[in-house]
Amino acid sequence: MQSILPHLINGLTLGLLFALIALGFTLIVGVMEVINLAHGSLFALGAYFALTTISGGPLAATEFGQWWLTFPLGTRYVVAAIVGPLLAGLVGAFLEICLRPTYGKASLYGLLLTFGAALVLEESIRLVWGAGEQNLRTPGPITGAVLIGGMIFSTYKVYAAAFAIFAILCVWLFLEKTPYGAIIKAGAHDSEMVRALGYDLGRLRLFVFGFGAALAGLAGVVMAPIWGLRPHIGLDVVIPAFLIIVIGGVGSFWGAVIASLLVGLSVGLTGAFVPAWSMVSMYILLILIVGFRARGLLGRKSALEN
Amino acid sequence: MLNSKINRRNLLASAAAGGVATFMGPWAHNRVLAQGAAKPIMIGTTTDASGQYANSGADERRGILMAIEEANARGGILGRKLVSTHIDTETTPATGSRVAERMIQQEKCGFLLGGVHSGVANAISQVAQKYGVIYFNTNSSSPTEAGQNCHRVKFVWDGNGTNFAKAAIKNSINAFGGTFVLLTNDYVWGHDTARTTKKQIAEFGGKVLEEILIPQGTRDFTAALIKIQQLKPSIVAAAIGGDDQKALRQQVAQLGMGNKPVWLNNQQDWPDVYGLPADNLFGVFGTTWYHELTLPSVKEFVEKYKKMYPNEVIKVPGNVFYNGYMAARELFAAIERAGTTNNIAVIKALEGHVMKAGDRMQHYDAMIDAKTHQVQQTIYLATANPRPKDKDDLFALLAQAEPKDVIDLDAPAACKLESYEATPTFDA
Amino acid sequence: MNLSDIPPKGGSPFTLPMAAFLMLLLLAPFLVARFGLYHYLAIEIAIWIIFAMGFNLLFGYTGLHSFGHGAYLGIGAYAFGLFQHNVSTSLWGGLGAALLAAMVAGGFVALFLSHRRGIYFALLSIAFGQIFWFSSIKLHRVTGGEDGLLGIPRPPLQIGNVAVTLADNRIFYWFVAALAALVVIGLWRVVNSPFGRVLQAIRQNEMRARFVGYDVWRWKWLAFTISATFAGLAGALLAMAQNSAYPDVMSLHQSGLVVMMVLVGGGLVNFWGPILGVLLYFLAREVLGSLTETWLLWYGLMFVVMVMVRPEGLAGLIGTAARREAPAPPARIVETTP
Repeated sequence: MQSILPHLINGLTLGLLFALIALGFTLIVGVMEVINLAHGSLFALGAYFALTTISGGPLAATEFGQWWLTFPLGTRYVVAAIVGPLLAGLVGAFLEICLRPTYGKASLYGLLLTFGAALVLEESIRLVWGAGEQNLRTPGPITGAVLIGGMIFSTYKVYAAAFAIFAILCVWLFLEKTPYGAIIKAGAHDSEMVRALGYDLGRLRLFVFGFGAALAGLAGVVMAPIWGLRPHIGLDVVIPAFLIIVIGGVGSFWGAVIASLLVGLSVGLTGAFVPAWSMVSMYILLILIVGFRARGLLGRKSALEN
Repeated sequence: MLNSKINRRNLLASAAAGGVATFMGPWAHNRVLAQGAAKPIMIGTTTDASGQYANSGADERRGILMAIEEANARGGILGRKLVSTHIDTETTPATGSRVAERMIQQEKCGFLLGGVHSGVANAISQVAQKYGVIYFNTNSSSPTEAGQNCHRVKFVWDGNGTNFAKAAIKNSINAFGGTFVLLTNDYVWGHDTARTTKKQIAEFGGKVLEEILIPQGTRDFTAALIKIQQLKPSIVAAAIGGDDQKALRQQVAQLGMGNKPVWLNNQQDWPDVYGLPADNLFGVFGTTWYHELTLPSVKEFVEKYKKMYPNEVIKVPGNVFYNGYMAARELFAAIERAGTTNNIAVIKALEGHVMKAGDRMQHYDAMIDAKTHQVQQTIYLATANPRPKDKDDLFALLAQAEPKDVIDLDAPAACKLESYEATPTFDA
Repeated sequence: MNLSDIPPKGGSPFTLPMAAFLMLLLLAPFLVARFGLYHYLAIEIAIWIIFAMGFNLLFGYTGLHSFGHGAYLGIGAYAFGLFQHNVSTSLWGGLGAALLAAMVAGGFVALFLSHRRGIYFALLSIAFGQIFWFSSIKLHRVTGGEDGLLGIPRPPLQIGNVAVTLADNRIFYWFVAALAALVVIGLWRVVNSPFGRVLQAIRQNEMRARFVGYDVWRWKWLAFTISATFAGLAGALLAMAQNSAYPDVMSLHQSGLVVMMVLVGGGLVNFWGPILGVLLYFLAREVLGSLTETWLLWYGLMFVVMVMVRPEGLAGLIGTAARREAPAPPARIVETTP
């Protein structure tokens, strides 16, 4: 008879990874009230940029490339985990500039624009990196398996989950404990007032969107060794992120985190006992929760409801 | 490649020259091309260029194009040049249906080649059957293709799930023990493959401990892997396809579970595994061809590929390319044997045709089954190569099974080919 | 955005654009032959016109942004096919089954959705769409799974004692075109009826519509169900056109495409927008698709630019051009996010 404990742990781990995946999405929805459908493509982009950083990409043959490749994989991996998300963040910032004409209009337009952007980004990835499966290599010390209570777990996933907690806390501290966070949050509630106080709202939005995109890219770097990497991976990301936002409630940071854990647990536990239904369980969870609580678990009123 | 370039350039040229006044330009190219002395034979490559099987689609298309170029270099078929057109089938059945309509109606293609996704192959073959146009499913390995969904105009060139299961199960029980856990993708292909596997396990005295159904789109396999670790089977027989398999591969490699238990996977397509590290190639899997086979003319074939496609990411031909190439080459040979492009005559020239092992660069003679239209061919079992001689040498071949030993015995009962009379006559 | 630059009116639907549309339907087979295109394309375009026009009743007129509408197209297709396979080979029976199935599915989902607005509505519509899509693959014993439900016949058109075979695409086109014409005329009546005005009132301000005394929930439910029924009709025709029903049309990707078409065409500002959008999409696919493998990249770019500079779409563009000639009508209510 199998015990439930390893599956509970697995579900929670999965939930943390889902939270990491949804983090950038949550931030952009919560602060800017834009549903960023390009989130998944930015996720992919972060991982692809990291991949190129590790291998040296087009510079590999040059002197600089040769020098770069003399570094151990671990070092290159860490640099890639910074460079990849940064570049994804830049692309995100550019996307925000494209989004500007849609501000002040119905929220639908932002959603549609990012849907188009997702198409464009995915096709671009296919052009640049090819349609095939890619492999983001992790350094030796964080690969392999650990036994926890006689149960096998991937070492990498344990690290990834720990990193997810770290990232969630960092974003939360940033939003709650820094003046930037306060301005951003104020901007979400009353953009007129923020502007009246002399803050540059345009730059603020640029920053938030870029930051959210970078978080998407970071999630991509972390998840690629688990999920693999291919141009159309974005759809695997956007849908759970979506569900999490709706279950957690638009605009609530902790709502999204709790929703992630719930989704992770439902996928993990159904995966153990009724595996054929593990994918649908997310949607059933969504309908159950939103059926009873119109704004999700901790949602507040949002312009997106109009 | 050459043909398609000419084709595309014509398209571009006529589009540019046309302007608004002759807006019909882009669509009229076939007639322009058709004004030569002998009407060319139009070959439609219905391969995926986007979606899940974009990579495999591109690879099989390269194979088809190489065969076309060879035939044209010999002066064409029946004195007619071969011209190919390509439209992306997007790994989407509905698109396959539309592309087939367009290929036949608008591009006037006489033959359609290419398919990896069984749904797309089905969609194309239904349209092809409606018009009587011969269609070659080059790379879809679903048993239903040569079973319940067979058609008079469709020929299936890849080994299927049943063939691979039959090649693998008996040997594995003898070598590794008889307790199995089945990981089955919860859709048609997965269930079909699992059914054969279970039958084989029962036949050779093995035991299925549990079958774990994996829904399509699964990205995390930890729950299943924990269960496997608890059940401790000697063998895991996995029928997991597409992107799900890629994620599974990553996670099994991460856990180091690739060697114990033993994994029996279905076919691993070359474009899907090319460039991956060796520990990602866990377990035993099937293939129909490998570029390091020590058989005559394999080396020349590989050289030819390298010469024709020097800048491709995939540096050596694999099973998907091979199937595309072989299918196209055999089509042209059949047209020559028939002495006509009349569809019924060509179909008859294909049915029951035996292809010599030497010509196909496999260990045993292959045969186009007249009852199911599947090519019965040698199936190789392979595993990751522990001592590769270069970075392309990914597989170590373990065994080869004769076609007669792996033949799907249930297929003829499931397959009801349309009669010749019920198939519209079509001449390319 | 609003549709109020076409004031709701009763009267005859036979306006100039309607005449142009009917003319286009009539001439399509000849245009197709003239340009060397294939007949099947005309059929598919006509089917998508039915789908997109029905969808816009919900999307453009009621302002309910469903992103899972492909599901009802798929349900219609499956219902049609299952009816042919399991009940009898009958055109009207199959169409009836498709309409009924899509209506029931839409009506059921609308029970959950009609309380919702904005983003929650959109996201829930996606969730239901995904469940239907997933079920179509999962229930492979009924639906044929990822291979699709194959071998769906095209039953002959039986009117009284006369039976017309629809097997030939050229003849089948006339059947689809006739239905498309009926649907468009019907929808024109609907949106210009009091019912259509209520839907637009809900879009412009749901709260106000409620205070005026409308049972908003019921109207939204009705709009969703009707729109799903039209999708079911389109699905049945698609099943006939392709002789199969496939799960892919139910995917999020495909549901997104119809949104793109409607928006690019200008469905938010004009009754005729969806038709323009469908035409533009299919012609772009045929032309760009034969020039480049990455045509979706270019279509996506075009779409992004369109949302940025001309969010009212093609119809809006044409409308602007037309208004430059004539004096502009006074601006009506324009919605903004608070």
